[in-house]
Order: sequence, then C-alpha cells, then structure tokens
Amino acid sequence: MKISDLLALSYENLRRRKGRTALTVAGVVIGTFLIVIMVSLGIAVNVGFDEMLQSMGDLRKITVYGWGVNGSEVQLNDDAVAQMSKLDHVLVATPYYQPRYLSFNLVAGKNDRYQTGYVELYGIYPEALEMMQYELKSGSYLPEKGTVPSGNKPKVQVVVGEQLGYNFTDTKKKGENAYRWQGMTDAAGNELPPFVDILSDTMTLKSQGSEDDKQLVYQMDVLGVLLQDNEKGYETYGGVFMDLNVLKKLESDYMRMNNIKAETTNTYDQVVVMVDDIDNVEAVEEYINDELGFQTGGMSSWREQMQGQSQMLQLILGGLGAVSLFVAALSIVNTMSMSILERTREIGVMKVLGCGIGKIRTLFLLEASMIGLTGGLLGIGISYLVSFALNHFAPFLMMSGLGNILPMYGSKISVIPVWLSVGSVFFATLIGFVAGILPAGRAVKISALEAIRHE
Amino acid sequence: MAPIIKVDNLRKVYRVGQEKVVALRDINLEIERGEFCCVVGASGSGKSTLLNQLAGLEKPTRGSVSIGGHNISAMSEKELAVFRQHHLGFVFQSYNLLPTMTAVENVALPLMFKGVPKAKREAMAAQQLKKMGLGKRLKHKPTEMSGGQQQRVGIARAFVSKPEVIFADEPTGNLDSHTTAKVMNAILRLTRENNITFIMVTHERDLSSCADRIITLKDGCVLRNEKIENPAQEFEVQLSPMDEEYIAQEKQERENSDRNNAAGDGQTAASPDLKENHV
Ligand SMILES: Nc1ncnc2c1ncn2[C@@H]1O[C@H](COP(=O)(O)OP(=O)(O)OP(=O)(O)O)[C@@H](O)[C@H]1O
Ligand SMILES: [Mg+2]
Repeated sequence: MKISDLLALSYENLRRRKGRTALTVAGVVIGTFLIVIMVSLGIAVNVGFDEMLQSMGDLRKITVYGWGVNGSEVQLNDDAVAQMSKLDHVLVATPYYQPRYLSFNLVAGKNDRYQTGYVELYGIYPEALEMMQYELKSGSYLPEKGTVPSGNKPKVQVVVGEQLGYNFTDTKKKGENAYRWQGMTDAAGNELPPFVDILSDTMTLKSQGSEDDKQLVYQMDVLGVLLQDNEKGYETYGGVFMDLNVLKKLESDYMRMNNIKAETTNTYDQVVVMVDDIDNVEAVEEYINDELGFQTGGMSSWREQMQGQSQMLQLILGGLGAVSLFVAALSIVNTMSMSILERTREIGVMKVLGCGIGKIRTLFLLEASMIGLTGGLLGIGISYLVSFALNHFAPFLMMSGLGNILPMYGSKISVIPVWLSVGSVFFATLIGFVAGILPAGRAVKISALEAIRHE
Repeated sequence: MAPIIKVDNLRKVYRVGQEKVVALRDINLEIERGEFCCVVGASGSGKSTLLNQLAGLEKPTRGSVSIGGHNISAMSEKELAVFRQHHLGFVFQSYNLLPTMTAVENVALPLMFKGVPKAKREAMAAQQLKKMGLGKRLKHKPTEMSGGQQQRVGIARAFVSKPEVIFADEPTGNLDSHTTAKVMNAILRLTRENNITFIMVTHERDLSSCADRIITLKDGCVLRNEKIENPAQEFEVQLSPMDEEYIAQEKQERENSDRNNAAGDGQTAASPDLKENHV
C-alpha cells in the first residue's frame, strides 16, 4: 500500500466528517495561536531590550575599572591589560586613558573665534582603534608608533569623531546663534554645517588651567575621521583619540612645566575589553571579575538581568498556551476514538481484504497528525495576522492603557521569528500524532470478525 | 492432486461467562482446487464459525487449517494480512462496501492494499465491474445502488485480484430469489473461468444444486461431506408469480433500450454476458 493511498484515505475520512473535524482543528488552532502569540510577546520584549541596549553602546564591550570587586586593591596596569587581551574570545583590550592633570579645549578660526568646551580625549593603544571596530569615514587609523609633537608649531596626530565640528561655538555671537547642531536648518530648510570643517580648518588643542599656568598648544593633525555610530558610543560623534604613549608624554610635560607634583602611577582608571561575540561576553566578564579581581561594567550584566524578567513573562504566557494545546490534544483523542468506534465495521472489512495492521495504525496516526498539522498551519497564520495588527496599532494600544499589560521595550509588541512558526507547526503536528497513538492502537485491535457479523 | 484446503481435528470452543459453547467439535475436511463448495446446515450448526476458521479470521481452539500448504493457524496477524492479500477473497452477506468510496474504488481496495498504482487498479476494477454488468455504475456510491448491485460490487471486489480461494457467508441472504439466481450465476461463471475455489455458506438448499461439494454440518460436526459428480451448470430458481411479473417488465424494458441503442450511438457499457437491469 502506497503512502499516497494512505494520505488520500485519511484525507477522505476527515473530509466526510467536516463539522467534527473542523471543531477539533479549531482547538488546535486556538492552542497554537495562544502559544505563538504569547511567545512572540516575550521575544519582542527581548528584541526590544537588545534594541534599547544597542543604542547605548556596543554590547560586546566590557569596561574594566581600576578598582577591585570588593573594594580590594588591584593594579590595572599594562600587564593586567596584556593579560586580558590574551583571554579566549577577547579581540583586544586597551586602556581608555583620560589624563588626570591635563585637559584641553579646541579653538579654530581667526583669533580663536570658534571654541569648544572640554574635549573628550582618549589615549589608547594605537593598533586597538581598528580592532575596537570603529569604522573610518575617511583617512586612516593611528600609526603603530605615534610621533611625539615637537618643533615650534608642534602637531599631534589624532583620529576624531565625525561630528566634532558641532562642538564649536561662535564666541562672536549670542544666544542660539552661537550654536550649531546636527540637523539644524535655516529658514529655507537647508542644513547648516558646523562652524568648523574638521577636514580643512586648522584646529588647535589648548590646555586648560588657571591664568598663570603655562599652556600647551598643539595643532591637531587629523589622520582619520570615525564614522558616527551611536551604537558604538559618543566617541564616534565628538571624541578625540590619541596614541596612549603620546598622551602620557604630553601629560608629564605639562606636569613638569607647571610643577605639579604627584605620584605618577602606571595604572589606568578604565580599560575596555572587546569580545568576539555577545554570547561570550558573560564568560569573559566573569573571568575578569573572579580571576583577575577587577570590577567591570559590561552591558551584558544588565542585559542578563532584563532577560531574566522577560523569560519569566514568556514562561507564564507560553504555559497558558501549552495548557490550551493539551486540551486540544484531548479533543483529538476524543474525536479519533469516536471516529474509530463509528468505523469499526470498515476497519474490519479492510483487515479481511488484506490490509495489514501496520497500515491501519499508520492510517489513523496520519489522520490525527493531519488534524494537528492543519490546526498548526491555521494557528500560525492567524498569529501572523494578529501579530501584524498588534505591531501596526502599537502606538494606539500603548496609549489606550494596554501598555500596562503588554510591555513594549522596543519598536514591536510581537515578534514571530521563523523558528517559532516552523517549530509551532511541527509541535502541533506532533501533538496530533501523539494524541493519535492511543486510538490507533485501539483500531489495530479491532477484530476482523466485526466486519462479518451483521447487526 | 493435493487438496487446496485441509482441515485437521479442528475444534472451536467459545467461552461465554462460565459456560463453554462448542461451536465446532472435531472437523476433518479436504477441499480440492477449483471446487464450488457449499456449507449447509441448521442455524447454529457452526457454518459461519467453520468459514471464519477456514479464512483464518479466528484462531482455532485446537487443530489446524492449511491453505495451499500454508498452515494459516500458525500465522501471525501480519503474515495473515499478506496471505489474504495474495490468496484469499471474501464476499459478505451484508455487502460491506466502504460508504465513502465509489464502486470502482471499492473494487480496487484489495489491489490498493497490495500496492497496485491507482490508475492500473482502477482500470482492473472497472473491467471487473463491467463483467458484472455494472458498467454504468462505476462512479456510484453504495448508497446510490440497490442491494443486488451492491452485492455484485462486493463480488467484483472479491474476484478482482484473482485469489485462489474465495469465501462467502450467505452472499445472497438479503436478495430476492430472482436476483439471487443472477448473482449466483455470475459467481459460478467467474469461478469456473478462473479455476477459483469457492466456499459458500448457505441456508437455502436450492443453491447447492450447482455445487461440486456439499458439506452438511450438525451441532459442530460434519454430518455429510458429499462430492457431486455432475452438478448443474446454471442455477435455476423456482419463480414466484411476483418474480415472473417482474421479469416480464424487465424484458420489455430491455427491448426498449435495445431499440434505443440501435438508433443511437450503439454504445453500451454492460458486458454481453450480463445485462444491466433492475437488480
Ligand atoms: N463469538 C461467539 N461467542 C460465543 N458463541 C458463539 C460465537 N460465535 C458463534 N457462537 C456459537 O457457536 C455456535 C455456532 O454459531 P455459528 O454462527 O457458526 O452458526 P451458523 O451455523 O452460522 O448459524 P446461522 O445459520 O444462524 O448463521 C452457536 O451456538 C453460536 O451461539
Ligand atoms: Mg451464520
């Protein structure tokens, strides 16, 4: 007996009891729909978390602080950084050095007309810039060996954030006119550029201090411009990167010139570790905490915490769906049992005509699985519709107070990934199959003699 | 020549509560290939029980049945299913056609279990139905046919896979005497054509007129086992006045339709041996 014949027989048997089949399928549809929609709400929460966190910085970065986990004494120095960069899954580890005794602002234009406030200045290992996966908009990364500025018009090599120009204000103007910001337009709607063009205008770093302090003045040699990427952080907007050793040299020069006496240590306040994949962040972070003893502030520790919350939600919602599918399974068992009772004679006749018991079992398992499959397919179809509607009307729903029940962290209320739709159809079919096992076993046991005995 | 069916010391006891019902006491039989065999006897004598035993539908309490040298009493359910597919056919008293299927699909059923592809088995089934004079009823569902037509579909189903042995338990029990004669003649011709062994349980002694062998049961024992040397070649049934009226009407109609056919396209699906009519 061919499988196509079995399928045709099963289909015919379901078709002839349309009403009952439809009701049974409806049970599976509802169960599948509930599970899918509820799991999709949970997934949307997760996706929303990720969207939210991503906008706050690269999740693969771990920030390591210069103090111990329990306030213990630790040395976050070059050796420690080297140790971290050798860990598995770590792409690179570099200090983000910000000098303690030296800060700069930027000036440009005639008579220093355009000025910025305090500059976000970072000293990092020059080769790390690329490995931190900052993308260049133009130019190049820092050279492997930075040159210390010298001469009467000393220049310092830097890589800057794309929108650094917007940090300049016009000292000749008052009020709003003194500022430019990204997306600012004139009356005609044309976008206004920053006062200073970071590629062509000369920008000068000037150290900040009291009136009588000796000032360091360097012209910036902009080697490269980083592509603005809010997911990577503010530094791609208005940061200034410099070779770590060059920056340290500038700081010590400044301290010597101004007679600042301080214990110079070789430790850093902040080191950033870049991990190859989000999934490995937790392990690396744990190692740095537990084995190396440093306090860390990775995004992943936060993410985990939020995920825990959403998992709880998913569990509850999915559980409700599971209960309804279980009820649907019972109704399949019921339907199949009834159908077999009605068809006792037919089954007997088939046996007498030479239908093997294996085929009879397959026939009924197929019937039950078809109920599951149909229910699953319809269920996922309805889920997609409802999911689409939920997302489409999301803003309205949130306003109408539903926001208290349905958490919405990202741009969507419900997300149905492919694995969920495929998985739920498979699961519904499996449920049909399992529900069919018992009735099919009973059908197999029906005696061939039943066919011959007449009322 | 070795007998096709051999029954040795067959005993069947049913247990009903505390009581034991001995349906078959101790049966020893041999039936030869190609025989048309009638099992007769009073009600409750064990005819149906014997037939079920011969067909392997029930396990014996003791003894054995072998068909074509295969001991079917020792076979598993699975082996029996395969054995039935290839060697046995059945005609039921209450037709037992599957209600959702058309005549052709019903007849093709045993071939489907054997794994014959759809197109081929339905062609074979249609051919068999035409031989039974049901060329115009191929696509009809059982509920759309008369009892006699349904029974002919049932017979076509038993013969379609050309089994060696066909069993029938009162195949004409629900039919009037005129229809019975026609159905029996159809069976007789098919078994003779294909050298099929046919074993039939019946109440009506008349029906055994054409039998090669008549087995008479009484209280679970073989009372007589007669081999008939020169059986009649065709069934003849005494007709009641009602039957005669019926046949006259039928004849009239057939003449009408013959005239129509001669005038029209002349196509008729019925085989020449058995005309389509009000069975
Ligand atoms: N399944 C069963 N359980 C118990 N007793 C049974 C069963 N089948 C048959 N019998 C008994 O076995 C005996 C023979 O029954 P069987 O059906 O073979 O008779 P039969 O000759 O076919 O009768 P009929 O002509 O009325 O059909 C009867 O006494 C019947 O009560
Ligand atoms: Mg009987």
